[in-house]
Amino acid sequence: MAPPLSLLDTWVQENNELVNKCKQKGEQDAVSRDCSQPPLKWFSFEFHKLLRKIQGIPPNADHTQLELAVVFNAGVCSAAQSQVSEAELFLAQATERVLQMTGGDAGASDPLVRWRTVLNSVGDTALHPSVLYLLCLQWAIWLATCQLKTIQEFQEMSALFDTLCGGIGDGSVSEARPKSSNIPLLVMDPRRLIELLQICTSIALGAERLNEGRSSEALSSLQAASALPAPRALVAYTHLLSGSCLTHMRRPQMALQCYRKALETDSRCVCALYQSMLIYRQLGNTQAEIQALRLLHSTLMLPSAIEPALGSTHLLSPSLLLRSQSLSSLLSVPSALTVLHSLALKCVLYGRVSEGVEHYLDLLAVVHSEDQQGLHTEDATLPKLPELYLEAGAALLMARRPADCLALCNEVNSTTLELLPEKVVLEEPEERREAETRDMEGENSLAMVLWTAAAYLLQGHCHSHLKDWKQAVTHYTRCINLLVKVRFKKRDFQPQIPGADMDVKRGKDLCVLERLKGLSLAGRGICFIQIDKLKEALRDLQLGLQTFPECVGAGLWCGEVLWRLRRRREAAACWEKTWSLTTQSLDKSLPVYLQEPQSGPLLDSTELRHRIQELGPT
Amino acid sequence: MAADCAVETWTEFGFLGTSVTPKVRFGTDVFICTGSDEVYVFSTHERRLKAVFQLPGPATDLVESHDKQLVYVACASGVYCVNLQSLLHSSQSAPPESSSSPTELKISSEFLVIEADGVSSLLLVGSVLLTLCQTDSSWLMTLYKTPEQTQSSSYEVLGSFSLPLVSAVVQDDTESKGGRRRSSVLICVHSGDTAPSTVPHGHFRLEPVLFKLLFGVEAALAKSPVIVCGLPDGRLCFLPLRLPGSRLRVLHSLEQPVVFVGASVVMETGPGHAQCLVAVGGQGRVVLIKTEKGGPEDGSSLAGFTEVCVSGPVECGCVDHNCLYYSTGSDLLLLDLSEGSSGKEGKERDDKTSSKTTAALHSPTSLNVCRVVALAEPTCNTAGQVQLLGLSVRGKLQRISLPVRRKEAGLSKQVGRSVRDLLSAIGDVCERASVLKTAIKSKNQILKHLNQVVNISFLLTATANTEDHLPMKEKPIRCHAMTSWSRLLQKDSLNLACVLENSSLYVLERGWTLSITVVPLCCSSTAGEESSSTNFLFPFQHLHPGETLEVSLPIAAAGDSSFPLTVNCSLIFSLSSLLGEEGAASCPGWQSNISLPLNTLTVDWLHALHLNNPTARHKMVTFQSSSITTDPIQAFISSRQIRRSRGADRGGESVSRPEKYSASVRVSSELLRELKSSDLDPKAPKLAPENLCLSLLEWLLSESSGGVKMGHQGDKVAVSSSVVHAHGPNGATVKLTAKEIEVREENTEKDERLTAAEVQVESSSVAAVCGLHHAVLSRIQILLQRAPEKAASMTRVPILSLRQALQRAEIQQSQISGAFGVGMTTGQTSPSLLNVYQELRQNPLLII
Repeated sequence: MAPPLSLLDTWVQENNELVNKCKQKGEQDAVSRDCSQPPLKWFSFEFHKLLRKIQGIPPNADHTQLELAVVFNAGVCSAAQSQVSEAELFLAQATERVLQMTGGDAGASDPLVRWRTVLNSVGDTALHPSVLYLLCLQWAIWLATCQLKTIQEFQEMSALFDTLCGGIGDGSVSEARPKSSNIPLLVMDPRRLIELLQICTSIALGAERLNEGRSSEALSSLQAASALPAPRALVAYTHLLSGSCLTHMRRPQMALQCYRKALETDSRCVCALYQSMLIYRQLGNTQAEIQALRLLHSTLMLPSAIEPALGSTHLLSPSLLLRSQSLSSLLSVPSALTVLHSLALKCVLYGRVSEGVEHYLDLLAVVHSEDQQGLHTEDATLPKLPELYLEAGAALLMARRPADCLALCNEVNSTTLELLPEKVVLEEPEERREAETRDMEGENSLAMVLWTAAAYLLQGHCHSHLKDWKQAVTHYTRCINLLVKVRFKKRDFQPQIPGADMDVKRGKDLCVLERLKGLSLAGRGICFIQIDKLKEALRDLQLGLQTFPECVGAGLWCGEVLWRLRRRREAAACWEKTWSLTTQSLDKSLPVYLQEPQSGPLLDSTELRHRIQELGPT
Repeated sequence: MAADCAVETWTEFGFLGTSVTPKVRFGTDVFICTGSDEVYVFSTHERRLKAVFQLPGPATDLVESHDKQLVYVACASGVYCVNLQSLLHSSQSAPPESSSSPTELKISSEFLVIEADGVSSLLLVGSVLLTLCQTDSSWLMTLYKTPEQTQSSSYEVLGSFSLPLVSAVVQDDTESKGGRRRSSVLICVHSGDTAPSTVPHGHFRLEPVLFKLLFGVEAALAKSPVIVCGLPDGRLCFLPLRLPGSRLRVLHSLEQPVVFVGASVVMETGPGHAQCLVAVGGQGRVVLIKTEKGGPEDGSSLAGFTEVCVSGPVECGCVDHNCLYYSTGSDLLLLDLSEGSSGKEGKERDDKTSSKTTAALHSPTSLNVCRVVALAEPTCNTAGQVQLLGLSVRGKLQRISLPVRRKEAGLSKQVGRSVRDLLSAIGDVCERASVLKTAIKSKNQILKHLNQVVNISFLLTATANTEDHLPMKEKPIRCHAMTSWSRLLQKDSLNLACVLENSSLYVLERGWTLSITVVPLCCSSTAGEESSSTNFLFPFQHLHPGETLEVSLPIAAAGDSSFPLTVNCSLIFSLSSLLGEEGAASCPGWQSNISLPLNTLTVDWLHALHLNNPTARHKMVTFQSSSITTDPIQAFISSRQIRRSRGADRGGESVSRPEKYSASVRVSSELLRELKSSDLDPKAPKLAPENLCLSLLEWLLSESSGGVKMGHQGDKVAVSSSVVHAHGPNGATVKLTAKEIEVREENTEKDERLTAAEVQVESSSVAAVCGLHHAVLSRIQILLQRAPEKAASMTRVPILSLRQALQRAEIQQSQISGAFGVGMTTGQTSPSLLNVYQELRQNPLLII
């Protein structure tokens, strides 16, 4: 046997051994991650080594098929490790050598022109399929580097692939034939790769068009792509993007249909759930929104949700090919914790208090668990931890579990206890300061004061719920004492125009401060009534109403005090005024712990009306 | 303040040629990570090296799992997880005899659990493994979830946090100074009220208020451990581990590489909460972070940062209850932190105490242990003695037992212990002494060497000074030489084999160089053409008394007629070879070379003659053919000279060859006979008259003159007749004839008839004739000088006239060389040459 032939054989053998090992690794990875397998890096390195050996000799027609196969293998391994430039280098070298061999003109620097020259120079020889594999790899690289324009320009070639897809299938070069050792194997089936590339290209293009506002155009191409043979996850993406297009075109119901289809195709398509939830929120369908949130959360908590939908190809995964910014922004889903929080909050706000409490407790449990799962997320939509505690406490109180609420508030108080300042200055306008300090310091002393005050307030509510008036008064007093430490300072004094947008104009901190003051004064006033300290009660209630005029409880109880003090006309006026207020049950813009307590001593409005009627018109 | 402590060396690893700060992890097994490819496991129970891990790259850090089953080692390519027990079992089952020697464990890629480049630090918090890497643009902290089962390999990434790099000015500075790459420091801080009472290595429990002040209410509320990392750029960063949306934030900047971060109890206030967070910078900045009460108007607490500077560099450090231990490389020091925090109650602390505390912080106690580069956390033994584990720069693992604190010192003074202390102190001193000893030894060596050098230079310069008085006394170190023709690549060249002879009592040691300068005589007299002088340097190692050193150098090629040549020999001594390059360069005022002239040799035409032996005849032919064509001037002169020679010819030259130039020297036979028999060849019998001429020729051709001998390849010079044919270095054929003639003395009144030996030089080349004439005369002059006492009786030796003749010949020589050397026109050349010729003719000399 002539020496070069045996050399060829050894190279083919080496290549095939590597490919088999690589495939084994892929299978084992799918089952269980086994550490004994060499990493992908190793394969890449080995293929590269082999390639350098082969390319050590001038291009030779006998070796070219092997060489191209090894180039493909090395390129796929490199690309799978996101080393795209290395893979491109392999391709450039390979095309150059092919052109050297066939005598084509290697001068073209433009990749498109070069590939066309290569294809022409190869013609219809046996090398044609090998060159096409490499073209597939090039396509994948373009896709991974988001060079969608280039791919679109090359689309005329996709017809070529379509015809050849069948051709390769017939030939089944590497697999169908009896294991002849002379044929170099490939690490990845080119047919699979082409299928993957086609659908990924469609998805990427769709996302791009959607981003550019060409929704209808995107929609048609996406719908066409949804019929392509592809992994489920990718088909689900096409449905999902169609839904997004429809949302943009203001067809929420049709969008919901698409999202449902996406979910039916791939149950792990959390993004579809999230998008549906957003539509329900937009439509004001609270029950459906809560339902969607609940589903979304449970899906996110599934262990499989973290793993990307990979499919059978372990080398070039769709996640590697779908890298465009517009797509990832479309596919982004908030973290499980954030979803859980909004679920809990919605439940509490929309009357499913006990369910909301459970969710809040779950949330706190996650924070305290040793398990770090899902904690480290980038989105900062979650409120600060003390606020979460207070929200949970308020929910517990609503669910009539004052003891638990007390415990949570104690927790907050004990952490802030030693850190409370003697004096805080709240400056207006505070927007700038807020932007400066919130991010840098994490929390400032004002926030700490407000948290602690809110905790005292909640504790006061709890005690008054338990009819422990003395304790309640103590906690309300603590709250008030703490709040008066905050000095309000206007930076740029402007004559205030009283109006409806006052609250908006004022900073959030000031609003919270006022609210806390009003609620705590009202709460203390109500407690004083219970222990028959009417004067103190009247003072507190009136002060409370001054700072927080919309407080219903304070208004009613103030009337009651006046009634008991035999100032019945005033009492009637006070009641009338209170009833005239637009009674929103819960203000959604403010934290749930700043809502009026529903649990304290209540006055029956019908009874009060009776009293007014008895009083008669003046 | 100083306190001695007991140092017990456990084991030695040899020098640590590390580029990374070594780390020691203490447990039942001590892990030593020196920054090389190997990690050593030392068993404290068995007091021996148990195992050596061989990693594929330099190990930077390691951490032991909480159950002591696994060891995570950070390496260049990633993090390796090693189950020490199972590995030891499996490897020990194979070689049963390896009980005493450490087991070598090769850690291959199958143990790789996390692939990451450039992991500089590791920390394990619960089931979370943290890695800190430096990437191109940022520091990256990555959290991995370690699997429950030991052999599963899914190290899931829980999150990663990055902190952009700042300009590395500080960093570079120290890197260039220390030469050691600083690594980062990772510790975990727990709030004192949440953490269990015992925490593993690298974990600290901090007093809750300080914890909240430093790391925020949220971290305290979440009861989250906080990671604190010290970076080589001086930043101290922290990350609450279990807080949603937490970020890596900067706590403080030391502005020098952070060497150590820890927490110290400082004062016993509660169940072991550390009151103080300590960070130590590489250049000695110590930052103590403590809670301070705010002013009366603002009653809340604040985190107070106290900066103390100790003298750096700080190599490593550790803390125990109330002390900071740190090593500067030359000493181990102790800084008492408790004295610095005596005023915990804000009200009681006045200026006086605070100044006292700072004073205490500024005076660390020396523990007199040198060369410690890594320290493990201190432990307390049952006797209440603090024990540190240190790694010295020489690779010694040492247990350092500190003396019991001053209060208890009187109680537990034991003789045995103090003896042990002393012994270990002696050991320590011994180590230092051995270093000093080697330094002294090498210095002594240098001094000895220099002494030899000075002796030699005195010897040589002294003889140079007294040369005038004792001209004949030769230097004890001198050169003599031998010429020989050699043929290489179709070219003949004259080689000078120069022999340096050390007949002094001193050894010429390393650092000496023999310098030989070859200058044409005519050029050296006119002085101006440096290009014609050639310098050869021969460094040599040792030349003991009585030994010789022979070197060979080419001095002239064929066709080169710039004879006679002066060969200046000298010895050069260079200081740099003794002190090393930088040693000599550091003293710029010095002249780093000493040059001592030896003797001067002369190579004249006679030395350069090529005798026509029967064996060498063919050479002559090639010689002539090559040189004649290249010498048109010669041809011209020979054509001119025919006519002139006829008229001028006198005396007994052969008339048959009128085209030759000739010159002759006559020496009285009697004188010659006397000289030769008495001085030069005492053993030889009285020479017969016919032998006289023969021996004269033989002497001229073979005897050493001026220290230079003429070498003959192959056979000894065979002067069979009184006529010698030869050719000179310029290729001209030369005939030397010696015969005895009778001369009438003309310038004396007495009509004496003397027999004289006449040496006649004949050649077609004027240069050859002149050169040879000069050579013969100078030889005879030397001969006469040699035996002045003995020849004193033989008066009337006209040395004066001989000298005159010599000088004349020298002038002629230079004129000829001038005529040939400088590009004169032929019109100018020929008259000057002929002038010379004329003069030559006019002075037939008789030396009586």
